[in-house]
Amino acid sequence: MQQFLTQTGSNSSAATSPPASPQPRLRQQQAPRKERDPQNKEKEAPPAAMADEHQDLTRAFAGLGGLGVDETALVSALGRWRRQPEKRAQFRRGFLGFFSASAGAVAGIERCEDEYLLHLQAEFARFKDAAVLWAMHPWERDARWAHHVLHKAHPPQVLVEVACTRAADDLLGARRAYQALYHRSLEEDVAYRVRDANASLLVGLVSAYRYEGACVSEDLATEEAKALAAAVRSAPAAATKLVQNEQVVRVLATRSKPQLRATFRIYMELHGKPLEEDLAAEPCLREAVKCLDSPPKYFSEVISRAFSDDADRQAKAALTRVLVSRADTDMEDIKDAYARQYGAKLADAVAKNTHGHYKDALLAIIGK
Amino acid sequence: MATITVPRVVPSPAEDAAALLKAFQGWGTDEQAVISILAHRDATQRKQIALEYEHKYSESLIQRLQSELSGDFERAVYHWMFDPAERQAVMANAATECIQEEYPVIVEVACTNSSAELVAVKKAYHALYRRSLEEDVAARATGNLRTLLLALVSTYRYDGDDNVDMELARSEAKIVHEAVRRAAAAGGHEELIRVVGTRSKAQLRATFGCFKDEHRGSVTKALPRGDDPTGYPRALRTAVRCVADPSKYFAKVLRNATRESAGTDEDSLTRVVVMHAEKDDMGAICAAFQKRASCTLEQAIAKETSGDYRSFLLALLGS
Repeated sequence: MQQFLTQTGSNSSAATSPPASPQPRLRQQQAPRKERDPQNKEKEAPPAAMADEHQDLTRAFAGLGGLGVDETALVSALGRWRRQPEKRAQFRRGFLGFFSASAGAVAGIERCEDEYLLHLQAEFARFKDAAVLWAMHPWERDARWAHHVLHKAHPPQVLVEVACTRAADDLLGARRAYQALYHRSLEEDVAYRVRDANASLLVGLVSAYRYEGACVSEDLATEEAKALAAAVRSAPAAATKLVQNEQVVRVLATRSKPQLRATFRIYMELHGKPLEEDLAAEPCLREAVKCLDSPPKYFSEVISRAFSDDADRQAKAALTRVLVSRADTDMEDIKDAYARQYGAKLADAVAKNTHGHYKDALLAIIGK
Repeated sequence: MATITVPRVVPSPAEDAAALLKAFQGWGTDEQAVISILAHRDATQRKQIALEYEHKYSESLIQRLQSELSGDFERAVYHWMFDPAERQAVMANAATECIQEEYPVIVEVACTNSSAELVAVKKAYHALYRRSLEEDVAARATGNLRTLLLALVSTYRYDGDDNVDMELARSEAKIVHEAVRRAAAAGGHEELIRVVGTRSKAQLRATFGCFKDEHRGSVTKALPRGDDPTGYPRALRTAVRCVADPSKYFAKVLRNATRESAGTDEDSLTRVVVMHAEKDDMGAICAAFQKRASCTLEQAIAKETSGDYRSFLLALLGS
């Protein structure tokens, strides 16, 4: 959304601004429109009221950078300007990210920008996606997400997330669902389609059927913490990348989660910093470690990233994915982790950054 | 077709437990009585007998059997008492203890079970050893052998045969050929391990078929035979044979185990007979054995083994 608003704001000067809006970016939009639109002077409505209407409409159509669509605002906007096509035309001329007068000039129209239509499609679809995903069986959800990531060559974050944060039987269930849906095994497709350095780690993670008991060996944890440290130290000079290191992949892909947490704890004790910090050069590896160590902390980070200004399409879609998939498992822990990390209640952050039915759906899913 | 025979009217677990106790009492053990009961009960019945015995006589039936019996007979009965999933978990665990020699057992368990059966084995392993099979295999093996074994053990193959892609089979037959041409030490085996370790069995068989069409020889014959100390080439060959034709593979193991010249390999003999006597494929294994050997499996066992061990194996085979 940001890109569409700054397009209009790029040649703004500090002209008169509309009444203070909670979205500072909007101010940039208002100024150039007034300068550019000569018809504005002929309108009977005073510029400030016109600006209000435009602001409402812009918010209704695009959520002003938040997620989802403000359906109520949109409905009331649609009821406006009946039999006043010239006002609608003015709106089109003023909303430069959505419409392009130059592109359509030959035909005498302000043509819709295709990219913006895609953006709207995504925003309108958030509520539908949340509802459908909520209703689906968790295993089918995970299988569909994994398939989507593999076949659209998206970053493998979702694969790591599903493989590392689900219980062993749930991951197995997701693999079964994947077979039922796509007639291939998940590991087959991961091994075939992921051709970069992360391949062996990803295949290992999605194939894992970890022991789920609490039995932990401190000696083994110490031994493996040292092995991990040795791998990290030798990584810069090694022939292959750290993420391809056999020892690292072996430990992360086969040990039980309690055992791994002990290993990570001992690593921290031995080196004074968490393992994740030493994995900054390998995002896939770092994410795996975060997911295995503390899913709620990892998820609260993903959620926060969805709200940031430069969130891309995958980062925003992650909000629905995380909230819907964790509603039945560790939502309370995620709320605690979020509050601890960002000093705000999760529900408040969601309410602030989302709109319309999508917002209500998410708040309902999060619960009190 | 399974070969064990269960009487039409089965005594209750209590009766069986009492009969077993009687067999243990007094001087020595009545091994024939033990065989006549346990070799003719299926997995569920054996479990009920064990529970009943423990409940009534306050000791573990398996432990009593271990103390009363001995030698190959005892090992065979011990493994027989478990249900199929646990048995394979126990065998796999024993193999991880000396993985450099016993890795074929792990390959067998990983490649000759259906995906669901393999999951049951892994679950049984969790319950018995409080670790996962993958952990133990990964920790004890090294190099290419580890990569291969871990892939085989972790995979959850698609079990259907409705999605075989012949284009893919042809392209993967090329990959197999390339890897086979180069020695394992030269690298290039990741792709081969990927194919063998993740594709469905139907897809793999199609790939092997394309290999045979292209290169006028089966994959198994093309795979290097050398005495590689790491064991990787042999493990690879075992995996390919297990996927391509499990009955033929097991028949070969049995033929090697009952070879006159080399002395009897009771461990392998026990393993195969005890593992398969109550599975559907025993009939096919016996048929494959007879095709290649000059006698039936029963005849070979009768000739090469003796005593209670022989009686027990023959009872499992339905003689």
